[in-house]
Amino acid sequence: MNLQAINDTASAGIATPYDTIWATATVPTKAPQGIERVMLAEDKLYVVLAVVLIIWIGLVLFLFRTDRKLDRLERMLQERLPETNAGASP
Amino acid sequence: MSGVSYSINLRHYRRIRNGVVVWLTLVLVGAFLLRIPRIHILEHTARNLYFHVPMWFTLMVAALVSAYHSLRYLQSGDPMRDVRAREAARVGLVFGLLGLFTGIVWARFTWYLGTSLWWNFDPKQSFVLVQLLIYGAYFVLRSAVEDPEKRGRVAAVYNLFACVTMPFLLYVLPRQMESLHPGAEGNPAFSDITHPIMRLVFYPAVMGFIGLFWVLYTQRVRLALLEQRVAHLRAPMLETEP
Repeated sequence: MNLQAINDTASAGIATPYDTIWATATVPTKAPQGIERVMLAEDKLYVVLAVVLIIWIGLVLFLFRTDRKLDRLERMLQERLPETNAGASP
Repeated sequence: MSGVSYSINLRHYRRIRNGVVVWLTLVLVGAFLLRIPRIHILEHTARNLYFHVPMWFTLMVAALVSAYHSLRYLQSGDPMRDVRAREAARVGLVFGLLGLFTGIVWARFTWYLGTSLWWNFDPKQSFVLVQLLIYGAYFVLRSAVEDPEKRGRVAAVYNLFACVTMPFLLYVLPRQMESLHPGAEGNPAFSDITHPIMRLVFYPAVMGFIGLFWVLYTQRVRLALLEQRVAHLRAPMLETEP
């Protein structure tokens, strides 16, 4: 499938730097296997999904870290001012 | 933020935060719904332009914000500047790592097909890893110095150095070599993968992610301010306890 695509482009004479396989890579001649088969489905749309998910998960992990810091701060305030609520202003 | 701001205008913050969330949601919808010309090899992955590239714009903005506050710290010695420089660098590093990982996945399933390669020493990718390690060292350096004043000064000087290396590692050097990234052919910005129609989503995406940086950064600064207030609150309490 990919081999076909490359031939098409070359014969049409519209090859761009992004339109060719990376120089050191061998041109795939067999059908994609395993994870590649999943990622290449729907014209490689799942690659975009993977990228969006990476960003989403990364931001969520950062959010959790901030949250943990907030927890620690609340505990500290609770220790220092046990008679008041941690959330209320002293 | 002009002057020494020890508190943040919360109404202002919330308005921008809500705007950024709505804006980025629209960007996300647009990124998938806007029809783009088909290019072989790239196919739909051309849409990663909307997500992968803004990570780097955001990293650069974060680095500039961080360096600015480091510079002002050296001028004024105000600890708030140190906090701002630190948090901007931290959030910037998160965006840098996201950019790196999204780039790895994009290349793996687009240009490195059939090779099982996750890392092929693309010049830009390798140099950006060096740049991220430089920023990682900033935090290692911070944790190594006990005295806050000394730490602030050493970290600020190092941070200025880290910011200065960025244009060389991210622009000058990668463009001297063959790379998957645009720029190597002497085209400074857009290349054939970016049909003009894609700018309709790309520019808003860049603005949206920079906005998201601002929100996360301001959130962290608020947290640091609160931490300082609790620490101040703590000191007299400790003395009266025994």
